[in-house]
Amino acid sequence: MAGVNDDGTVGDAGASSSPAAASVALDRVGKTYAADGDGEPVRALDDVSFSVADGEFVCLVGPSGCGKTTLFRVVAGLTEATDGRVLLDGTEVTAPTTDMGVVFQEYHLFPWLTVEENVGFGLERSDRPAAEREARVDEMLDLVGLTEFRGAYPKSLSGGMKQRVAIARALAVDPDLLLMDEPFGAVDAQTREMLQRELLDVWASTGKTVLFVTHDVAEAVTLADRIVVMAAEPGRVRQVVDVDVERPRERGDAAFAEYVGRVRELIGAHP
Amino acid sequence: MATETGPRVGGDEGFASLALGDGRRLRRGAVGVAAFLLVWHAVSLTQDPFVLPSPVAVAEAFAGELASGDMTAALSQSVRHWIPGTAVGTGLGVAAGVAFAWSRVLDDLTAPLVRTLRPVPPLALIGFAIAWFGINDAGAAFIIAVGAFWINFYAAYGAVEGVSEDLLDVGRTLGVRGDLDAVRSIVLPASMPGIMTGIRTGLGRCWMLVVASEIFGVPGVGREIIRASNNLRVDRAIAYILVLSLMFLLVDVAFRAVERRVLAWRA
Repeated sequence: MAGVNDDGTVGDAGASSSPAAASVALDRVGKTYAADGDGEPVRALDDVSFSVADGEFVCLVGPSGCGKTTLFRVVAGLTEATDGRVLLDGTEVTAPTTDMGVVFQEYHLFPWLTVEENVGFGLERSDRPAAEREARVDEMLDLVGLTEFRGAYPKSLSGGMKQRVAIARALAVDPDLLLMDEPFGAVDAQTREMLQRELLDVWASTGKTVLFVTHDVAEAVTLADRIVVMAAEPGRVRQVVDVDVERPRERGDAAFAEYVGRVRELIGAHP
Repeated sequence: MATETGPRVGGDEGFASLALGDGRRLRRGAVGVAAFLLVWHAVSLTQDPFVLPSPVAVAEAFAGELASGDMTAALSQSVRHWIPGTAVGTGLGVAAGVAFAWSRVLDDLTAPLVRTLRPVPPLALIGFAIAWFGINDAGAAFIIAVGAFWINFYAAYGAVEGVSEDLLDVGRTLGVRGDLDAVRSIVLPASMPGIMTGIRTGLGRCWMLVVASEIFGVPGVGREIIRASNNLRVDRAIAYILVLSLMFLLVDVAFRAVERRVLAWRA
C-alpha cells in the first residue's frame, strides 16, 4: 500500500514502468435507443467528447440516468454508438478487444472456474507459451494478494475478493487500458477504501491508462487525475475537472473537500 | 416433513436422500416401509393371489427368478436397450437443445417441427421402431432414445436460454470470439447445472420406458412384466417391477455422486 507516490511523481513512475498504456479519445459519441412500443426514442448520449492520455487516471461521474453505463459499454465495444466514434490509440473501437481490460460492478466471475482459472481465462486465448501464462497468473495473483486462494471457487469469496479477482483477470492479458464500471459499488465502505488504495498501487506499478466510472464523487476525487462530470437527459459532458492534489489524498483535507463540493455542485446544477 | 428442521442431505427426492443416509430420515423411512408391507400383507390375506399376492409371495418369486438366472438374463437384455437408447437420446437431446437455444436461425427453423413432434409419446412410435429397426434391441433402444431426447432437449434449451449475457460480455472482452468458442468456454459450463438435471431426470425416465420399449416383443425386464401380468402371475410382475426400481435407484445415486463432483463449484 505504501509508496504509491512517495516521490510525488505517480505519472512518471507509471509511464516508465510499462510502455503498454494507451490513449483513449471519444469523438462526438452519441447513442439513441430505438423507440420502445409507443414511446419516443431515447437519447442516452449526446455529443460526448473527451480524451484520456497515456497512463492517465480519469473518472467519469454523473447523476443517475446520465448514460455512464451506456458510455462504458460503448467504449468497451459492447454497445454500438449511433454517432461519433471511440479511438483507442488512434484505432476505432467497433468490437470488444483484449487491448482493454474491462471490470464490471457485479464482478461477473466465471463461477465454474477457480480463482486462478478465472485469472488465466483471457491468457488461454493468447498465443503465449504455457509456462509464460502460468507465470503471468502467479504474478497477477500476487499483485492482488490472492495467491493463497488460487484454488478456491468464486462462491467462497467475499465481494472485495471477487473484485480483486476480476481486476487480476482483466489485467492478466496486459491490456493498454483498464476500463471499470462502478467496480467498488457493491462492497462495503471499508472494503471500498482498501480496494481504492490497492487500485492506485496497481495503477502506479503497471502504468495503465484507467477510465473509471463511478457515482461516488469522493471516490472520483480520491482516484482521478481528471474527473469528467456528466449531465443527464441526454447524457453529455458538463465539465472536465483537473484534480490538482497530491496522492495519497486525505478525505479530511480542505482541498479534497473543495473538489468534492465543486463536483457535487456540477452534478446537481441544472443547465 | 416440510417443517422439520433436522439436518437433511440433498433432500429433493426421498429415495436418494435415504440412500445418502441421514439417521432420522432413514429410520422414519424404514418405519414407513414396514407399515406399508404390513398393510399390504393384511390386505393380501383377503384377496386371490392374482389380484394381490402377499409380500412374501413376491419375495419368493424374486428369489426364484434370481436363482434360476431368468432375472439376470432379462436385466442384461434390458440394459442392452437402456444404455444405447439413453446414451444416444441424451447426447442428441443435449446437443440439439444447446444448438437451438444458442442459434436464433436454428431456433426459427426448427420451432414448428419441435412443437409438432414434442407431444408424440414414445409409445406411439412403436410402428416406426419396428419398421426402421425391427423387433430387436435397436428397436427397443429407439423408443428409449426418443424419451431421453425430449427431456434432455428441453432441459438443455432452458439452461442455455438462462445463461447470463453479462458472462458472455466478459468473455468477449477477454478474447472469446465466435460461436464455437463462446459455447465451449461459457455457454456449456454455465448451463451445466440445468443440463445435469435433465440428464438425471432422463436416466430415471428411461428405466420406465424399458417397459414400453419391450411391449412389442423384445425380451427384457419389461417383457417379463408384461408376460407375467398376462399370465396373472402378479407376484412375478411385481418382482420384475422391483428390479426396475432398484436399477433406477442405483443409477440415480451414482449419477448424483457424479453431479456433485462436476458441479462442485456451485454454491
